[in-house]
Parts: sequence; C-alpha cells; structure tokens
Amino acid sequence: MENTRYAFWFLTTVALTILALAGFNALAGRYILHHPEGGSVQTLSGFERALKPVWLEQTQPQLVFVGSSRVRDGFDPTLIDPALKVRSFNYGASSMTPYEARRFVQDALAHPSVKQVVVALDAFTGNGGAGEALPSFDETRLAVTPSGDPTPRRSLWLFTTRFLSGGALGMNALSAWSLAQLKTGQSAADRPDIFPAYAHMTQAVMQKDLAYRRARIMRMGEGAAKELSATLNAACHAPARLTLFFPPDNLAIIARYRQGDAGALDGFKQTVGELVAQHNTQCPNKAELFDFMAPNALTRQTLEHGSSRDYVDLVHFRPPAGLWLLGQMGLSAR
Amino acid sequence: MPFNSYPYFVFLVVAVLGFRLLEKGAPTARRVFLLLASYAFYAWWRADFLVLLCGSTLVNYALGCEIERRRMQHKDRRALLIGGLLFNLGLIATFKYDTLFVSTANEFFGIGLPVPHFFLPLAISFFTFEQISYLVDADSGRTHNYGLLDYALFVAFFPHLIAGPIVRHNDLIPQFRQIRSRNDDLAAGITLFSIGLAKKSLIADNLAPFADAIFNAASRGTHLGPTDSWLGTLFFAFQIYFDFSAYSDMALGSSLMMGIRLPVNFHSPYKSASIIEFWRRWHISLSAFLRDYLYVPLGGNRKGRGRRYLNLFITMLLGGLWHGANWTFMLWGGLHGLYLSINHAFRHATKGMNPSPALRLPLHAASVALTFAATTLAWIVFRAPDLASAKNVLGGLLGGGHSAVVSFSPLAAVTLLLLFVILWFMPNSMEIMWRYRPALPSPYTDQPVSAARRLAWHPTPLQAGLYGLMCIVAVLALSNLKPFIYFQF
Repeated sequence: MENTRYAFWFLTTVALTILALAGFNALAGRYILHHPEGGSVQTLSGFERALKPVWLEQTQPQLVFVGSSRVRDGFDPTLIDPALKVRSFNYGASSMTPYEARRFVQDALAHPSVKQVVVALDAFTGNGGAGEALPSFDETRLAVTPSGDPTPRRSLWLFTTRFLSGGALGMNALSAWSLAQLKTGQSAADRPDIFPAYAHMTQAVMQKDLAYRRARIMRMGEGAAKELSATLNAACHAPARLTLFFPPDNLAIIARYRQGDAGALDGFKQTVGELVAQHNTQCPNKAELFDFMAPNALTRQTLEHGSSRDYVDLVHFRPPAGLWLLGQMGLSAR
Repeated sequence: MPFNSYPYFVFLVVAVLGFRLLEKGAPTARRVFLLLASYAFYAWWRADFLVLLCGSTLVNYALGCEIERRRMQHKDRRALLIGGLLFNLGLIATFKYDTLFVSTANEFFGIGLPVPHFFLPLAISFFTFEQISYLVDADSGRTHNYGLLDYALFVAFFPHLIAGPIVRHNDLIPQFRQIRSRNDDLAAGITLFSIGLAKKSLIADNLAPFADAIFNAASRGTHLGPTDSWLGTLFFAFQIYFDFSAYSDMALGSSLMMGIRLPVNFHSPYKSASIIEFWRRWHISLSAFLRDYLYVPLGGNRKGRGRRYLNLFITMLLGGLWHGANWTFMLWGGLHGLYLSINHAFRHATKGMNPSPALRLPLHAASVALTFAATTLAWIVFRAPDLASAKNVLGGLLGGGHSAVVSFSPLAAVTLLLLFVILWFMPNSMEIMWRYRPALPSPYTDQPVSAARRLAWHPTPLQAGLYGLMCIVAVLALSNLKPFIYFQF
C-alpha cells in the first residue's frame, strides 16, 4: 500500500509539473510571438541555442542572420522588418563555433521561406572543428543533418524542445519578463537596461574591453576553414542567397588583433576570399563577401561625450548600426 | 533509442503499462509482449539489423539445444561448441574489428588489401558475449532446456540489450518464468531510473563538453598545458563514472519496473582501495564474464604465479579490445593487466603483514587515492582517439605545453570538490535502494552491497515528491541527445 501511494505521488508530481511547464511554455511562446516588440527578444542572451530553431520554424522568415553574439546583438527584426519590408530572423548565439555556424546556415537554407542568409565570419575563427558545439546546441532541432538529409523525427524534437526543455523554460521566462517590462509605446531601444544590445559603450566599458580582449587574435584554424567550405558547399545549389561579412569590430580592437598576430588576421581574410572565389567559380548560387573589419564610417567611430553612438562594446554593434550595415550590403526595402 | 530520450520515456511507459495490463493473462502473453517490445526498441535504431539479432539468437539457440542434447547422451560436442564460438567471434570480428585487422595487416606486411568498413550493429558486443556464455554453460551442464521464447527474451530484453549489464541465462530465464510486477518494484524502479537520469543529464553531460574540448584540442596537436591536461583528465574520469553509473541505474530501474532484477553492475568503483577491488566494482558483469570465460579457462591462478600474471594480462588486454577496434583500448586493457599483476604481486609480498590500528585509516585513504590516480591515468588512453593524443595529454600533466583551452576557475574547483565528496563519501544508488533489493547480488561475495544508513530510500509521499521533482529537473536538462559512452561498445 505504501508503495502504491509512493508511485501515485511520484507520478502525480511528475505529471503535474510537466503540465504546468508545458502550459507556461505554450502561453509564453504565444505572448512573445504576438507581441509587437517580440522580435527584439532575439537579441537577448540566454538559452538562445535551445529555442531559436523552434522560433525559426514558427517565424518562417525571408532573411536570416547567423553568427556569434555580434550578430545576436546587432540585428533586431523589429527595427529591420519595417525598414526593409521583409520578415527577418536573428539566428545569432553567443560564442558560436564554426561547426554551429555551418549547421545554423544549413538549417536556414533548408527553409523554403528563406531568400537570403547573412553570416558574420568571426564565427569561423579559432580552432574548433567538426562536431564542436556548446552544451545547449542540439542538431536534432535543425531541419537537416550535417550531410544535408532531413533530420529524422524532427517534429518530435521540436515539440519536446518547445514545451518540455529547460532551455525553453529559461528563454521563454526571460523573454516574456523582458517584454512585460516595456510600457505601451516603448521599444527595446528605450530599455537598454533590459535589452543590453541597445546600450552605449562608455569609456569604462571600452577600457575594460581593451583589457579583456588584450590577447585576442583573429585566426582561422584548419577546422574552421573546413566548416566555412562546407557552409559554402551547402549554399551551392540552394535557392537562398548567401551573404558573408567580416564584422565591423572597432578599429581600436582591430589594432589589438594586428598587434597580437597580424599574419593570422590577414590569413583569415585571405582564406575566406579564396574560398568564396572558388565557390563563385563552381556554383550557380554565388556568395557575396563584404569586409567591414577595416576602416569605415562605423569602425572609425570614437566616443562622443563619453559614449559611443553605435557600439555596445568594441566588437558588439547596436541594432541601428546593423541596419546601416544591411544598407551597405545592398539590402533595401523590396 | 537512448534511455535519456523522450521516445524512450514514452516507450517505457507503454511497455510497463502493457506488461501490467497483461498481468491477469497467460504468462506466455507477457513474455511475448516483452520480446516484441524489445525488438521494437532495437528496431527504432535500425530495423534491418534486427535480422542479425534474430539470426544470431536462432543459431545460438539451436547450437545450445544440440550441445545440451548431446551432453545428456554423453556424445562428443566439441565441434559444436567450437563452431558456436567461431560463429560468435566471427560475427563480432567481421562487424567490429575488420577495419583494425585489415589496416594493421596492410601496415605490417605492406600489402594493399581493401579496408572494409562495416556498420557496427548496436549492442553486438553485449549480445554476442551473453550467447557465448550460454553455449559454454550448455556444454558444462548449467543450462536447463530453455524454450525459444525464454531464450530470445533473455538475449533481447530491452533494459540490458544495448549496453549491459552482461546477463547470464540463469540470471534472467528463471525470473521470466515467474514474472509478476508488484507495486513496490514499480516504486523502486521509477526511483532508481530517476536517480540514473539525474546523474546523466545533470552531472555527466555537463562535464562532457569540457573533457571533449580538451581531448579534441589534444588530437588537433595543441600542446596541452598542465591546467588543461589535469582538468581534462579529471573531468573525463568523473564523466565516465557518472555516465556509466547513470546507465546502469536506468537499465536496472527500467527492468525493475517490470519486476525483473538485473545483476549489480556498478558499485562505487572509485571507493576501491586496490585495482583488484576496482574491477569487482566497475562494470561488474564484464569483469565476472572475463573471469569465468577467459581467465579461468586460460588457467587462472592454478599454474603458478608467473602464469597467473600472464593470464591476467591477456584477459585484460582482450577486455580492452572488447571495448573497441582501437589500439588505445588495448593499451588501456594492458595497463589494467599490468596494474592487476602488480597488485597481486604486492599482496603476495605483504601477505601476513598487519598494519597497526592507528595506521589503518591513513593507509586505506592512501590506497583509495592511489587506485583513483592509477585508474584516472589509464582513462587518458581510453578517451584519447589515438596514441599521439594520449601522449600529448600525458605530457601536459607533467607541464609539457602551455595551452589554455579551459581556465581553472573557482567554479571548476568547487565542482571538483563536490564530485569527490559525492563519490567518496555519499552512498551509491544501490546502497540507497538496497533495502528493497533492486538488483541481483554481486558475483563477488567479498564486495557485497549493503543498505545505506544515511539517505536510504523509503516510499513516503515526501520522498515521492522530492524524487519526482529531481526527475523533472533532470528531464529539463536534457538539452541534447548525448548518447551513453558505453553505447558505442
């Protein structure tokens, strides 16, 4: 009898908690999707790897941005969509590895709604190679396997991720709470305390960043180059355009990269250039390449009255700068 | 389907419910149901290899029956036994070791044989070993004229099919004949399963990315520094401990929900004070199999000390090779063979010596630490993809390189400390549950599992709620389909 009661209470606890969890995730998901500023939560840092594949599936965008936190912070769909008259999606995630970047691009390209994928190339630096990913990255949620075949039983994984995963719980809670803080008429830009992608770099942040990134170099390892090559191959016959760009890190930090290892930075750019050129000679779907990691109106920016107009720190640009970058890439209202 | 996946949770619920619904029907119906469920479980991975599992079962059953019949009639059965062993070893050699054998032959003899690449069928190492034990036991009169249904279920019973424990026919078949699920088995089973799930998703899977990053860097040729090497080695030692322990708990828990007890397979191996003891607590079913079907037939300890050490070495070398077609596994097995030989020689040399009572505790603590260090060192060759990577990690331990794949943060220090506390000072899941006999006893009578004095499980509503919440937290942490390490063997 004692054991029957135990089994009953155990299963009841599990069942009720699962119901509560799934209910919360369903409600929060709907709230975020239908909130006028809902797209801005894509710039938040949290469990983005876990939930963004689900959001991509729900959003069915035409324009997708892939990359590290530079991309995650810099492209806000609520700003971009009305300006470019397009439905966009921010597929950025912190410290994206080369393998993850390739897989996210493959995922975006596999969605029929997607017409263009914009990729920041800093995700293809470092030593990471095939299969290397951060803990919450899960390929079962992506539309295709690494070899390009449809992911088996994907709808099941998307369902469990959306309703039953801790990542969804965390991201939904953070996103819903952030949106709930916005008063009527306010946008994410009005609350940089909640949406840090809209903060402005100060002297203190700049100094801290220079110290924090003092040993940082920009080097493309062999594994990263292979992943970029695989990314380009995936786009060879895809219907969506592929646009690659070197992100607009501020000149102050580019100088540090050069100080650390100038050859590595030049080698990175050269390898990318060669791979893109090779791709464009072999593939019907040409890739575009833009270099913003060079002196330009954005990267030359210094602090004005103690704060930066377009940077959150030396590598993270603000969403208005992201919109400007898209203009430089030739994206305009259709 | 992996135990730590939603499809398995659904499958398990359906299997347990179906099994209990058939409780009032004929006993055969329950066994047929379990067999079909087990085949469905295997087919979820790849349906075509189900033919291999069924074919192997049928061939071994037919051979076993014939061997048993001839034994009863006092007829010669050596050819049948040898044929059966060759069939099983041939199967495993073809699918698992073909690439290693051919590429090694090409390298040594400079011949250009085409290297075959067969797809490794899931669980082949486990179901082959189980059937070898059946054939050998049939020859020595330890089998009891089993029916095909019981035999097929013994081979394919889903909780042990993929990664053990390596069960013996006489562990399971007598239980099949009187299976009856009871509510106390269900309560203990779901608790044990939840403990395993928590170990896997909350501990092992969170250690894996750090261990992987460091060993991957080593395989790329990065000269590892001491911090990376020490952390990578320790993190992997903890990862494999919690991963395998989690798997064993989940296998035993799944089986227990249907009233069937599997043998104890994991019993706090890092609490061992010697390598001999380690192998009586780590993968107990494999070490008992190797002892009974390899070490003893080789002569065991019956032919002098020198021969005993050689037998130990050969047994462990082949035990290492069983884990996979890679020289690193053989080296790992060889290292353990060497450790065991040294351990036995030391025991012989110190026989009759009794340390004073004041020295016993410090000596025991030092022995546990030394055993942990020796096994952890051996894990390097086990985890490294090749010998060069293993050498790289070992070099790093001695301060060879200067990499910084991970940094030694206060969080890492606290994590390591907590993990040591858990594995050295906390009761294990078997001890927590032992009052309710969740498993068959260890075959090593000197390493019995006893009930924990602290943290013992009691079927109270409070514990039901707490274990239920732990189960939910573990499910929430399932962010990825990270397979169990032992699934690859």
